[in-house]
Amino acid sequence: MAIAERTAGTISPPDIHARPGWAGWLSTTDHKRIGIMYLVSAFIFFLIGGIEALLMRIQLGTPDNTFLTPDVYNQMFTMHGTTMVFLAVMPLNVGLGNYIVPLMIGARDMAFPRLNALSIWLFIIGGLMLYVSFFAGGAPNVGWFAYAPLTQKQFAPSAGVDYWIIGIGLTGVASIAGALNFIVTILNMRAPGMTLSRMPLFVWMQLVVAFILIFAFPVLTVATIQLLFDRHFGTRFFLPSQGGDAVLWQHLFWFFGHPEVYILILPTMGIISEVLPTFSRKPIFGYAFVAYSGVAIGFLGFLVWAHHMFAVGLGPLANAFFGAASFLIAVPTGVKIFNWLATMWQGSLNLTTAMHYAIGFISMFVIGGISGITLASPPINVQQTDSYYVVAHMHYVLFGGAIQGIFAGVFYWFPKMTGRMLDERLGKWQFWLMLISFNLTFFPMHLSGNEGMPRRIYTYEAGMGWELWNLLSTIGSLLLAVAVLLFLWNMLTSLRRGAIAPADPWDGATLEWAVSSPPPSYNFAVVPTVQSRRPLWDRKYPHLHESHDPGEESMERLGAVMHDAAETEPPIPAGAIHMPSPTYAPLILALGIMVLGFGIIYLGDLGLAAAAAMLVGLLVMAGGIVSWVRISHVDSPHHAH
Amino acid sequence: MRTHPRSLARLVGPVLLIGSFFALAACANTPGNTYDPQGDHARRIYELLIPIWWMALGVFVVVQGLLVYAVWRFRRRPGSAAMPAQVHGNTQVEILWTVAPAIIVLVIAVLTFRTQAANAVMPADAMRVTAVGHQWWFEFQYPELGTEGKPIVTASDMYIPAGRPVTVVLEAKDVIHNFWVPKLAGKTYMIPGKTNYLTFTAEQPGIYRAVCAEFCGEAHALMRFRVIAIDAAEFDRWVAQKRVPPPAPSGTLTVNGLTGDAARGQALFLDARKQCISCHAIEGTNARGAIGPNLTYYGSRQTIAAGILPYSPENLGRWLREAPGLKPGNLMSRVLTPQWIRANLSDQEIADLVAYLDSMKVSVALPPER
Repeated sequence: MAIAERTAGTISPPDIHARPGWAGWLSTTDHKRIGIMYLVSAFIFFLIGGIEALLMRIQLGTPDNTFLTPDVYNQMFTMHGTTMVFLAVMPLNVGLGNYIVPLMIGARDMAFPRLNALSIWLFIIGGLMLYVSFFAGGAPNVGWFAYAPLTQKQFAPSAGVDYWIIGIGLTGVASIAGALNFIVTILNMRAPGMTLSRMPLFVWMQLVVAFILIFAFPVLTVATIQLLFDRHFGTRFFLPSQGGDAVLWQHLFWFFGHPEVYILILPTMGIISEVLPTFSRKPIFGYAFVAYSGVAIGFLGFLVWAHHMFAVGLGPLANAFFGAASFLIAVPTGVKIFNWLATMWQGSLNLTTAMHYAIGFISMFVIGGISGITLASPPINVQQTDSYYVVAHMHYVLFGGAIQGIFAGVFYWFPKMTGRMLDERLGKWQFWLMLISFNLTFFPMHLSGNEGMPRRIYTYEAGMGWELWNLLSTIGSLLLAVAVLLFLWNMLTSLRRGAIAPADPWDGATLEWAVSSPPPSYNFAVVPTVQSRRPLWDRKYPHLHESHDPGEESMERLGAVMHDAAETEPPIPAGAIHMPSPTYAPLILALGIMVLGFGIIYLGDLGLAAAAAMLVGLLVMAGGIVSWVRISHVDSPHHAH
Repeated sequence: MRTHPRSLARLVGPVLLIGSFFALAACANTPGNTYDPQGDHARRIYELLIPIWWMALGVFVVVQGLLVYAVWRFRRRPGSAAMPAQVHGNTQVEILWTVAPAIIVLVIAVLTFRTQAANAVMPADAMRVTAVGHQWWFEFQYPELGTEGKPIVTASDMYIPAGRPVTVVLEAKDVIHNFWVPKLAGKTYMIPGKTNYLTFTAEQPGIYRAVCAEFCGEAHALMRFRVIAIDAAEFDRWVAQKRVPPPAPSGTLTVNGLTGDAARGQALFLDARKQCISCHAIEGTNARGAIGPNLTYYGSRQTIAAGILPYSPENLGRWLREAPGLKPGNLMSRVLTPQWIRANLSDQEIADLVAYLDSMKVSVALPPER
């Protein structure tokens, strides 16, 4: 603790790198500001996706309700799914990763700060384009999975599907660029001594997810571009009446779509693997098992896509293979759960709000995992698929799991990011309200599903036995909204009036707690040297170092002594640390891509006018690229960072 | 360790609550309950689900129990600042809890593959029914039972013999649909350009609720049907009647104060200006439209507009007047707009049409809803 405070106290010069005010945000290349922009925009999208869900729940609260028209309802569930997957959970994870990963590995920024800025702008623009569709003839209404041939122009004539294609495409480019950035950053920019086997598990999971992303996302991008060509330029990839194949779309979509599930959940498993040890005052139990089970899940995630297609009629052999592969995923998942339990076992559990959420994650994720077992079994799956049972299962994994994990991460790292503590009392109230209302919303869906209620229906008739379950779900969802509003209130008030956060409020073990809250723009005045998986605890509790990793070599302890000697040297003056300069180039490039995107959407219908827009977009892009290259040219010869 | 019984006692409440929830759902005799199987296909699935459900309950109780116990037992007490033992792992224990779930899923996999094999069997003597998915209704063809190479064609009510295996040949006209009779069998997709097969036996006569389970566009929620399983003798009677075109219509029917004439109704139906025959067919007449459902013996339908209204002459009249409002997006509502109806279809004419359609009946003893 003493060293952390000293670090925070001595190094807090004014932030000389950012422009003031809005300009500072629009031109930033600082991974921390970009992380915050990801978190804020993704949280706004999370609220919007939540409102869409509430509208659906109100519609389904009673049978034969007429609150929403069928088409609006179909737009709602399409946008809810698309928003929560692409614009909320994914970027919330990316935002936390963007902020925390460089700090955790002792780096001063991401490997490619301007590419990082391009990612955030493409993400925001992609999300906004998706929502522009509401004002351009109607949002997409074909489901987030967009099954062919319902997406063909003859069945879905509005431009909503085109906005969906371009919006998803832009966020996809943002994600792929971001993933490459994470991979290069994590592999190349770790502090001296931080071997892969000493890397925090959150960083491990972000690394695994980045690899999943670069293999999974291009498949979706290709499929959506094929779809765009089907809709506007006369191809017939997915149109069976003219020789295309509707099932091909499903293979392509789920080859992306299932790994996507792990893109959503693995980072939050990483969060849990940081939060649980910190608040148990113990190291993670079985570090290697936890890390490698994450790798195994990422790998197996590519072998199970057809379990979304058991009712498609692929044949018993294919179904058996994909069923067996899906069962296999239960093994590494089970390993993680038991290792987390063992981490808590005989610990000294500090039940903070973050810890509440981490424990809630385990509890709810287990339920989602168990309900997943029956879905992995092809014969049972064909009763449960496309019913509300799946809606229940998927929300236990993605809300009870991923969202609760993200809440754990936000309560854990909010002090680091803002310099203020969130209100713990309010946080715990919110946790319990959320846990109860979450279960009230989603548990009854298991039952309505098993009683034959299909998904994606805007209405149902009375007398099917679904009324009670739906009413409970609707009540639960309203309470859930209150819980989310409590969190919003907590954030807004804590930002102004919250207790000032010290550098290391939780007695953390990883490097982000070694710097002030919030950290200076360059993160570390002196890049730290790492001797173990818990570098900060090595400094705070040197006597515990003895009991550290069983395989520690004495040479490394020698290194620790030398490092401590280095630590006492005065820090380097801030001006001497080279950081990437702010630039508008990524924003300009992204805006150009946006204009190009609008042109593409209307090229088939408007012809020349759209082509002109595309040309303008290309010119703006060219401007962005030129200014980008010039800055790079000025920067690079002088400093290596 | 004196804390142990109390922490376990805390578990009993939630487990009982969740258990009784499931029990409630399982016992309820609701129309679409997969926990109340009435067909061999659905029953084998149910019988596979039960052992897995007990295993799942076991895992649930163990993991949640350990979690609650750990939270309660190891929570930090005020004033205790002691550093816990820094345990980094234990390879043997970890191998144990890697192998344990592997064994559980192995058992589940073996059970699964047995059921899968049983449910994939297509007996040679199974009766074949072709089911075609349309936006947003189900068409049923009986190629083995027609006359002169023409199958029996109907829609929305799928008649089958109880106690005899039926192989449904699944096709789709426009987009993907999904054939689901929860009490009889699991789902199978109906995919344009692909033919799927689903075999099941209804164990006893009954009317079973069924739906399209794959999102298929605007009125997906209103795409329902009934499977009507009747005993073999009754089914033969149904077939014998369906093979013969309906007799020439006669008689009247009074609906909402208007008396419709069946013969006049037929003339209206066959009048091209009234648009019926652009889409609909009726055996034994010149109505050969192939876009909408075949309306032969329409008077015996259980429902109107693919399961959304119970069949009655009143509801049929209402459907003819209000198709766009009752089923948004459906093809008929694009022709029968309110303006078109005002100009082309009087209330009396609707009464005549209803009288005609209602006059074509098949005599079958209907089983109870199950």
